[in-house]
Amino acid sequence: MKTLLNLSWRNIWRHPARSSVLMAAIIIGLWAGVVTVGIMNGMMQQRVDYLIESEVTHAQVHHPEFLAEGYSRLYIPEHEEIKEWLENDNRVEAFTLRTITDGMLQSPVKTSGVRIRGVEIESEIRTTTFHENIIEGEYLDADIPNAVIMGKKLADDHNMEVGNRVVLTFEDVNNELTSGSFNIVGIFQSASVTYDERNVFVRSEELIRQLADKPIYHEAAMMLRHEDLANEVVADLNSSFSGIEAQSWRELSPELSMIVELGGVMMIMITSIIMIALAFGILNTMLMAIFERMREIGMLISIGMSRMRVFLMIMLESIILTASGVAIGFLLAWASMNHFKDSGINFEMFAEGAAQLGWDHIIYPIITPNEYAVILSVVVIITLFASMYPAIKGIRIDPLEAAKDS
Amino acid sequence: MAIIKTENLSKVYNPDTVPVHALNDVTISFDEGEFTTVRGPSGSGKTTLLNMIGGLDKPTEGAVTIDEVNISGLKDSKRINFRLHNIGFVFQHYNLIPVFTARENVSFIMLLQKRSKKEIEERADKLLDQVGLGKKKDSRPVQMSGGEQQRVAVARALASEPKFILADEPTANLDTASAMNLLDIMEKMNQEENVTFIFSTHDQRVIDRARRVITMVDGAIHKDERKEISP
Repeated sequence: MKTLLNLSWRNIWRHPARSSVLMAAIIIGLWAGVVTVGIMNGMMQQRVDYLIESEVTHAQVHHPEFLAEGYSRLYIPEHEEIKEWLENDNRVEAFTLRTITDGMLQSPVKTSGVRIRGVEIESEIRTTTFHENIIEGEYLDADIPNAVIMGKKLADDHNMEVGNRVVLTFEDVNNELTSGSFNIVGIFQSASVTYDERNVFVRSEELIRQLADKPIYHEAAMMLRHEDLANEVVADLNSSFSGIEAQSWRELSPELSMIVELGGVMMIMITSIIMIALAFGILNTMLMAIFERMREIGMLISIGMSRMRVFLMIMLESIILTASGVAIGFLLAWASMNHFKDSGINFEMFAEGAAQLGWDHIIYPIITPNEYAVILSVVVIITLFASMYPAIKGIRIDPLEAAKDS
Repeated sequence: MAIIKTENLSKVYNPDTVPVHALNDVTISFDEGEFTTVRGPSGSGKTTLLNMIGGLDKPTEGAVTIDEVNISGLKDSKRINFRLHNIGFVFQHYNLIPVFTARENVSFIMLLQKRSKKEIEERADKLLDQVGLGKKKDSRPVQMSGGEQQRVAVARALASEPKFILADEPTANLDTASAMNLLDIMEKMNQEENVTFIFSTHDQRVIDRARRVITMVDGAIHKDERKEISP
């Protein structure tokens, strides 16, 4: 075995340029694969985290028909009991109640359909990070009556700015149209332009005053101690109360759930594409190496080297070459991931486009040990398969090749 | 005493398309210690005969027996192992392993035979000294002349202590001085250590040195002459 290793190692360096190019391809391919998977993971996770932390939260409670119908009369019954339950459950880190209705926003410029979200300022700030999205003016804690904050896109479309007034029109719980004049106190910009265009925020007590003659809430949103608790808490809420529907973020936002699943699929696709390219690189290089050495391999078989040893020699050449590339590639990838996981990768040139799609332009790549293991396993399997064909070609060489004239 | 026997040996290439009869019913034997040349024009079957005797190719009909072992009937893996322990080869194009030094090339076959490290080192050095390459043990083939490479090939063929050595056109690529030097070495090995050599060649220099000359024409033995070489 030592002799075979020695021979294989020297065979690799028979053509240093060719072996170096293949090794560089393996290093770059692996590095690119790991970093790309890391970036994809980071993007997905950031998107999920942002949406959960800024708005969706880990779980929500609604009237069973509210999400489908959107009428303000479909509020949560027994909201006081639910509030008490949430206050006393130690799995719940924070929660907030929201009053929500669909309506129209009118400005001197135009009219737009919007979702009007009434929030309780203190509990909302404890529960979500949405207030951090204010880019102009103040949040709803401003000391101005009938305050409203709106998205930058909506404000631009209506040529509105902080200090201007808009009229919000909506149906109350009795299906009567009602409207009110609201003062713009702040402009927000979330990660999604679409969201910014379709949502405005007001104080819940001011919205409730126009919707009903008693406190009504359409949504109880909660952050839990850990995301994994979501299904358990949702099940407990649904079994403890009637006339409501509790849902986890995965049910509330199927697109978020899909993002997470898509991350896994993307990882497999990216890894596969890179590895297939890698496999062809190994296959091509090793086949060239075999065809160039037909006479030499014929001689080895002539003088008594078994075909199994020839097979091992060729396999070892591929394995040593790939293992060296993989080791360096992984080291580089690990170093890059370690660096970028804290500093992030700034895709500023795509910032505008990313914002349109609701993505952040600074990505903090993430890769788990499990994903490293998957990529490594795929590399090992691909290498073995790619080496197999040249090795089989090698063992089929006729020893008479050694005696051929040319 | 005959160590190699062929019986009614025939070889037909492309039997299903355009049959080429490379060997026709060849029956011949070789004794231990012979220094024999197989000569003949191109296509006469001399290389095919050597390939059959060396177990590199299988006959269409007939058998090759070496020391009572019918190598034509052996499975491929057994034939490879038989070659490792019984037959030495010297090729026209030297066919050394380019990434190995002269010593490593000679040692390699003994490593395949799983001999001890000490024995391998001692025998490799001794053989390289015998072929006059004591000072080039650590040179790679690319650093040696054609004659030197062929001498390494002879040392490699001897390393496994084979029953005989088959040399296919060993001097074809060598200048006269190198060819004569190589023949001197092989002749000396034959005379002093009773190593059996069988050559296939066109080269008159080799034919002149041989003590037995077999002439082949159209795949058959045309003449088989034994001669006395004056000392």
